[in-house]
This record gives sequence, C-alpha cells and structure tokens, in this order.
Amino acid sequence: MTEKGAGQLGVSPSDRCAIGISFGNSYSSIACTIDDSPVVIANEDGDRQIPTILSYVDGEEYTGNQAKAMLIRNPKNTVISFKDFLGQEFKSIDPTHCHAAAHPQDANGTVSFTIQDKVEGEPPSTLSVKEISTRYLRRLLQSASDYLGKKVTSAVITVPTNFTESQREALIRAANDAELEVLQLINEPIASVLAYDARPEAKLEDKIIVVADLGGTRSDVAVVASRGGLYTILATAHDYEFAGVHLDTVLMDHFAKEFMKKNPNVDPRGNARSLAKLKAESEAAKKALSIGTNASFSVESLADGIDFQTTINRLRYETIARKVFEGFNRLVEGVIKKAGLDVLDIDEVILSGGTSHTPRIANNFRAIFPETTSIQAPATSATAINPSELQARGAALQASLIQEYESDDIEQSTHPAVTTVKHITNAIGVISLSGDGEEIFTPIIAPETAVPARRTVHIAAPENGGDVLVKITEGGTHIKVTKPEPKPKENGEKEGEDEDEDDSDFDSEEEEEEHREKIWKIGTTLAEAAVRDVKKGGKVEVTINVAGDLAVTITTRAVGGKGGVRGTLPAP
Amino acid sequence: MATSTIVARPLPVLPEGWSAEKDFKPIGSITASTQRTIEPVGPHFLAHARRARHKRTFSEDDR
Ligand SMILES: Nc1ncnc2c1ncn2[C@@H]1O[C@H](COP(=O)(O)OP(=O)(O)OP(=O)(O)O)[C@@H](O)[C@H]1O
Ligand SMILES: [Mg+2]
Repeated sequence: MTEKGAGQLGVSPSDRCAIGISFGNSYSSIACTIDDSPVVIANEDGDRQIPTILSYVDGEEYTGNQAKAMLIRNPKNTVISFKDFLGQEFKSIDPTHCHAAAHPQDANGTVSFTIQDKVEGEPPSTLSVKEISTRYLRRLLQSASDYLGKKVTSAVITVPTNFTESQREALIRAANDAELEVLQLINEPIASVLAYDARPEAKLEDKIIVVADLGGTRSDVAVVASRGGLYTILATAHDYEFAGVHLDTVLMDHFAKEFMKKNPNVDPRGNARSLAKLKAESEAAKKALSIGTNASFSVESLADGIDFQTTINRLRYETIARKVFEGFNRLVEGVIKKAGLDVLDIDEVILSGGTSHTPRIANNFRAIFPETTSIQAPATSATAINPSELQARGAALQASLIQEYESDDIEQSTHPAVTTVKHITNAIGVISLSGDGEEIFTPIIAPETAVPARRTVHIAAPENGGDVLVKITEGGTHIKVTKPEPKPKENGEKEGEDEDEDDSDFDSEEEEEEHREKIWKIGTTLAEAAVRDVKKGGKVEVTINVAGDLAVTITTRAVGGKGGVRGTLPAP
Repeated sequence: MATSTIVARPLPVLPEGWSAEKDFKPIGSITASTQRTIEPVGPHFLAHARRARHKRTFSEDDR
C-alpha cells in the first residue's frame, strides 16, 4: 500500500497512543485494547455506534446521536453520509442519502457543503468533505482521549475494499489535519476476520470465509482465504441497492400507510419534517425488531399535529422486507460464484455491520449454506461477536500489533514486494486409504495458500505397521450431485422433458432434494517416499514446505522414530 | 505453524519391489500458481513480513 504519501504526520513509537477506528457513512466506532483484548469505547453520550453526522446550531458543533436529532429541526446545517465522498470528484458521487440533510455541491471539482457553522448573522461556510471529515474525526479522537485519559495520537482505520487510492489519500489527509497519525488503513472485512481470530479460544485453521458487511447505505461482501493466519481476498462484491436504509424505507412506507388509514389525506412522507420523524422512528423500530418479536412505533405530532402510535410484529416486517433480504442472499451467492467457489467450499460466514443484527438475514444465510458452515451472527451463534463492533475491534487489534514499529517499518512491510506473492492453485496432499481400501486424497496444504508455506500432518500407518508408502500428489475438488431416482411417469415420459400442461395433476413437484457433496480428486503425482519399519499402530509425520519459488521440500518419518526421509522437488 | 493436523485414514503399505535412492522418488513439480496479495494484517502477517524482509526460512525463524 502506498497510502503513506509525503507529508504523512509521523509520531515516534514511544510517544504513540493508538486506537482503532471504523469510519462508516452511517455510524463510526472507536476501540482500544486493554490487556490485548479489544474494547469498543462509548462516547460522552454513552454510544458505541456513533452516527457519522456533524451538525451546527448557533455556532455550536454536534456529532453522533445529538447531531442525528438535528435532522428533524435543522437538516440544512447537518451533514450526513459523507465519508464515501472523500477523494471523489463531484461528478462521480451519489448524493441520494444526503437528500434530507445538507446537500453536497461542487466547489472546483471537490465535494463540499455550505452550512451555517457559526452564529446566525455570520456568512455561512463552504466546507470540503475533507474538512467535514477532519472535524468529525477530531470529535471521535476527543471521545477516545477522554476515555483513555491521554491524548490519542495514532490510529488504524478500516476502509471498504473498493476504496480508491485517492479516497485513501484524502482520508489520511483528513485524519492528519485532525492531528491523527494513520498507522495503516486496513480492509474492513479483514478487520472483522481479525476480530474473530484474535479471540483466545480461536483455533488457527485453514478456512474459506465469507464476510458479509451489511451497513446503512451499502453492503459489501468478500470471500477470504485464511491460510495459516494469512488472509487473501479472493473476490469482493458491493451493493448500494440493498442496505439498512432500504429496510428503513420499507418500514417508513408501512407506517405511513398505517397512518393514512386513519388520516386519509395526510401523507407523513409529504413534508420534510414529518419524513424525518418517520425515518428516525422507523429505524428505531427496525432495531427493536432485531431483539423482540414486536416493536412499537410512536411519534408525537407525526404530521399535521397528529400523534401516531402503532406496533408491528417481526413476521409482518419480514414479509414486507423480503425483497431487500433476498437482495442480500443474491449478493452473497454472487460473490461466491465470482470467486469460482461453491457454498460447500465456505467454512464460515461472518456477518458484520449493523444490519447483520437482523435475525431473518442470518437465518436466510443459514439456509443457503450447508450445516458444516458456521454462520457468525447473533441470531445463529451464541458466541458471535456484536457485528457492529467487529471492524473497530479488528482495527484496534492491528493498532496494538504495529504501534511499536517505526512508520518506515510499517510502510516497508505493507509494500507490494512483501504482500504480493504466489499462491498455489491446487491442494497438495497425501494418498491415504478409505475404509474399503480405495485411494483417497487427503489435503495437507489447501488451495489458495500463499507461499512460502509449511504444513505438517500426522497420519495413521497401516494397521500392522511395517513399510509405508507416502505418495504426495496435487488434488482438486469437484461437487458431486446425487439426484434422487426419477420417478417414472404413467405416460412413460422421462422427468425433465418438455413440460406438459396436464402434468400438473401429478405430485411429481414433490421431488426429493438433490444431494451435493464436495469430493477430492487425485491430481498429478509429485513424489513418493518410503517410511520403513513403522511400529504397529504407529503414525507417520509428513511435512511439506513450499518455497517462495514453488520448490517443494518433503520430509517424512515415523512419529517418535529416528531418521526419516527428505527430498526436494524443483520449482516449476 | 507448530501444530499438526491428525489424519485417521491410514497410509498404504509400500508396494512390493518399490525402491528409490534414499527412499525418495521425485516425480513432478507444482503445476500452477497465481500472484495474489496477502492482507498486511494480523500477527501471522507480521511474521511473514519479518521472514520476507530478512530473507529467512521457516526453520531459521523457528530457531
Ligand atoms: N440492532 C440492529 N438491527 C437492525 N439494524 C441495525 C441494528 N443496529 C444498527 N442497524 C442498522 O445498521 C445500519 C448501520 O450499519 P453500520 O453501523 O455497519 O454502518 P456503516 O458502516 O456506517 O454503513 P454504511 O457505510 O454502509 O452507510 C443502519 O441502517 C442501522 O439502522
Ligand atoms: Mg460499513
């Protein structure tokens, strides 16, 4: 990464106080580590999810939920949903989400907002999105410094995987202007993975993870290969049509219609102030529906001075929001396909982002994936981490890992010369025998593992011991589909042929589901070795080491035995 | 990684007449690879970066 351009604020390691920041378009979070475990910090209002909003009233600056409340009274001087605008040209931004707040405008190509940030009577200010970000970040820093009792100097900040170089640079400059050193920008899904992997009970396992980050204005999904604790992104997808605000809209329409059943001529969506109230309360109801099976909706003077009170149950919500939920499913299925993988290849799904609290979304994912895939969300796993906290936690962990390094060291370590490496395409493994004596491939190094890599396995020797063959091969997977036997039809036609209108009388729709499983197939042989005189009931150790140039070293011996065999294969 | 996975399915018996110099028969090389970017994040990446920058192998790193 080259984000450490000239002029980056530098702090010497001994003077650092570092935190992790998740800076979203909708909400932000700050976190630190205490005894190596991450802690998300509450701001002065007691909030850990701090709305990414800056608002001015009579020259007074507000952020977080206090600023959010101003959307009803003072939307023109309230800036929302600005983070993605950083480093973008005005013509390439989507201002949709700023509709009910300060409008972005073009000031010589840079995105700006004109707001009254001083007392009435003074001329309004035109502030670039970078300046807005600086002011907002300054407030986050203040909250973190207050909590820690010392001035925060540095941070690791999470960014979406499609954040451009110019967005990264603008973010770093905005942070620097707030007197914050950016130790590193890290990808959001990787921060979430790190938050899970850093748990004391976590086991270091090779696995394929899908991180579904369902936020307020965007949903981002990544397929990540986790190999020996190294993370490689295999595919990403981004969606702006299905996110938290679209669920808010579903509820807003629902409550507006309910209101209009009693007040036929008053549409609360028809005026800005009513709309703002409707939106705020709809979001609150949505969050309540993640915990309870019922939520109340109650707004004083919703429209035309009329108070409104109603309730909604979760089932109703899930029915009216189905289209949005299905959008999440498609996004996840699409990115797995893009990575050239199948749902059967996915070991774990991490749900992150505020919208991931929604039980129906996690339950839908549960249904898409096989039982062997763990779905990390509050609704599907008792040990899931709060999805709203994952990115800030991951950033704080990374900050604590690197805060003692000189900035030059960090820069050099994150350089493409270090990060861009060969990844093996096929698995490398050993031939062992199934129960009925058939040769099967047992992977030792998983596909998509970065090299250099080293893995060791212990394998049972034949029952009676003796001389043993260690045959190392490549391996690949394929999905085996077992269709249930087609039921013969009365007219003798085969199932699946041209649909006949009079077919509908048959119960053939009730087909059994096909069975899909992942099967390893044996690829090219790389080497054979003999391990001699293995004891009865003994085990054989096989270590495969793949060098950076793909040369392979294989060592094998009887576990507990002396000597052993060692051989090398040249780089291809 | 210091840990090793345990495989229960047994290895085959060495076929009658199998022989090789020093009991090791090299047959092929790895067939394919892709250049990809590993994420510069987490403790294991730091170990990777240390090895890469000091041109050290896993076993040198173990010592
Ligand atoms: N408990 C909850 N149940 C349902 N939705 C929730 C819950 N908590 C927060 N949300 C929603 O999550 C969204 C915010 O997600 P997140 O905190 O990940 O924001 P973000 O990363 O800033 O979003 P983006 O950048 O996509 O706008 C909002 O739409 C919010 O209403
Ligand atoms: Mg987000």
